[in-house]
Parts: sequence; C-alpha cells; structure tokens
Amino acid sequence: MTDNNRIDIGVLKLLFDAVTGSNQVETMANRLTQLLVGTLGIKGAAVYMVNPEFEALELLASSGLSINYINKGPVLVDKSIKLASNREPIVVSDVSKSNRLQYPENAKAEGIQSIVSTPISLHGVIIGALRLYDAAPWEVSEHDVEYLSVLAQNLGITMMYFRLANALLAVKDSVDAIHSVWLRPTY
Amino acid sequence: MTRQKVLVPYNFTENDRKALDFVIHMFASRQDVAVTLFSAYTPAPEIETRNNTVMEKIRQNLTYLKQQISEQEDKIKAVRDALIENGFSRDRVSYLFSPIKKDISQDIVDLVQSEGFNVIVLNRTSGKISRFFTGHVFQKVVISVKDVVVLIVT
Repeated sequence: MTDNNRIDIGVLKLLFDAVTGSNQVETMANRLTQLLVGTLGIKGAAVYMVNPEFEALELLASSGLSINYINKGPVLVDKSIKLASNREPIVVSDVSKSNRLQYPENAKAEGIQSIVSTPISLHGVIIGALRLYDAAPWEVSEHDVEYLSVLAQNLGITMMYFRLANALLAVKDSVDAIHSVWLRPTY
Repeated sequence: MTRQKVLVPYNFTENDRKALDFVIHMFASRQDVAVTLFSAYTPAPEIETRNNTVMEKIRQNLTYLKQQISEQEDKIKAVRDALIENGFSRDRVSYLFSPIKKDISQDIVDLVQSEGFNVIVLNRTSGKISRFFTGHVFQKVVISVKDVVVLIVT
C-alpha cells in the first residue's frame, strides 16, 4: 500500500461488517458513515439514495456534516456533481478549483476542500451515492477509489435486501391484520 | 392540574421545524401541557481493546465523532430554548437526547409507554424514497401505540 492509500483490507473488512451486520438500513448507513470518518480521518461522509420522482439525492445518513450543510437544499442527480450523471466515481480534489458542484458556497462555508462521490448501483441502475468529504485537498488514489467502488456495490445489494425485507414485513402486517373469521369456510 | 405530556421527536428537518411551530401555536399558552423534545443519535463506534491498527485509527478520530454528537445535543438544547422564548415556561419543556436503542420508531413507542406521554407530534414528508427501505416512522408509531393522541404535521 502506498502512502496515498487510506483504505486497506482491515478498514474494508470493518466497513463490510457494518454493512452486513445491521438490521436496519438507517443504523447500517449511520454506522458506515461514522466508520468512514473514523478510519479515514476525513471530515464527513454521507449515504444518499436516488429519488427518481424528484431526480434528486435523498440523504439517508451522514456523519461529520453540519445540519446547515445537510439542509442546504435539494441535491439534484445531474447537478450535484456534474459528470456523466454520477455514473462513475468522481473525485473533486480541490473544490475551490472545480466548477462541478451544485452548492460550492455551502461546501466552502462547511470547510470542505475535497469530495469523493461513488455511485451505488444495482443491476446497472444508479440507486444512490456514497460521498466522502475532507477538509483538505485530497488526491485520492486509484486503489482507494476501487475499494470504495467495491464497498458501494455491496451497499447496493444490501439496500435491495432492506427494500425486500421491508416489503415482506408490510405484507406480513397486512396478513396479520386479517381476522380469522374471514378465513372460515362460509358453506 | 392534570398535565398533558407531549412528545415531539426532533431530527432538525424542515418538517420538524414546522411541527415545532405547530406545538408553539397549539400549546404554548396551555399551562397544563408539558413538552418533551426527543432526539436520538447513533453512538460513536465501540473501540475494541485488542491490538488492531484499524481500531487505533478510529481511536484517534473518536474525539471528533463524539464532538459531533455533543454539538447535536447543543442544537437540541437550542430548540428547547426556542420553545421557552416562544411562551413555554422552563418547567414545561425538557429534552431527551439518547442513543438509538432499536430503531427510531420503536424507541418512540417504548418512550411513550414508559414515560406515559398522552400526545405525540410527528411529521411526514411525502414522496421520500427512504420509505421503501425503512417504512414511515409515523405509520409504525400509529399502529403500535394505544390511548395516545398522534398529531401528524405534513
């Protein structure tokens, strides 16, 4: 591992444990963002989900970011970081020299100098984004981007699991609500 | 005088602010109403004692994470103070700032039952994609509580 690399297999294992070991999607995302901040020594991290109705990224969890920054306004999919509709990992090493941000002034006020955005996808469809924020310019290594992409892929699968589990619980609640009297034969 | 105990879960969103405005409008002048703000947070990761380089990295940054949580508590205190500034007497407003135990909706239900709240003020944002993954908090709370008035601000 070179000096530029911040993520090693030990860090990745810890992050995977957080992703696979939680029984609630919000707990999982909160724990993941905390561990990213804690292990990488960065300013903040956030997990977003794509809301196709509004073509916006909806915050699921964050760590290290202020409430003002979180509530800065709708994060539009195509405008938040302007490159190929966020289909590829994007590294903004120095936000002061970039014209890609939707809210550059808010990033400056928050003390954010660099952003790494990795798409969370499932079956080729972008369903969210994993974003890391640092207070210093960050030349993210290709190695770290690869590791983050692997993490994001696993996040996509985990989110699908939570989606299905939630749907199943809703069905269970509906079935449980059926009184046994409706199940008796009427002949 | 019998006191009505009102629970207001608060997570610093725009709709939470609207719910707070509603609480001020409805209850500030009612001396028999006591309001409790409830904010839950994910606790900082536990540090294992075994020798582990990853844990050592986290240990170094743990102070930052704990500071973030502490700042969140300061913000919920500021919300409590806003209630006082808007007509509530100090003895009628309190806050609970605690780590998430199960999930937020279950924690609300448990709190209502253990502390005997009469009213819960929730809010709902329509069109949120996260409802597909987590379900609506208000929905889970409404079906789980009994003999409690649930007000939902949209």
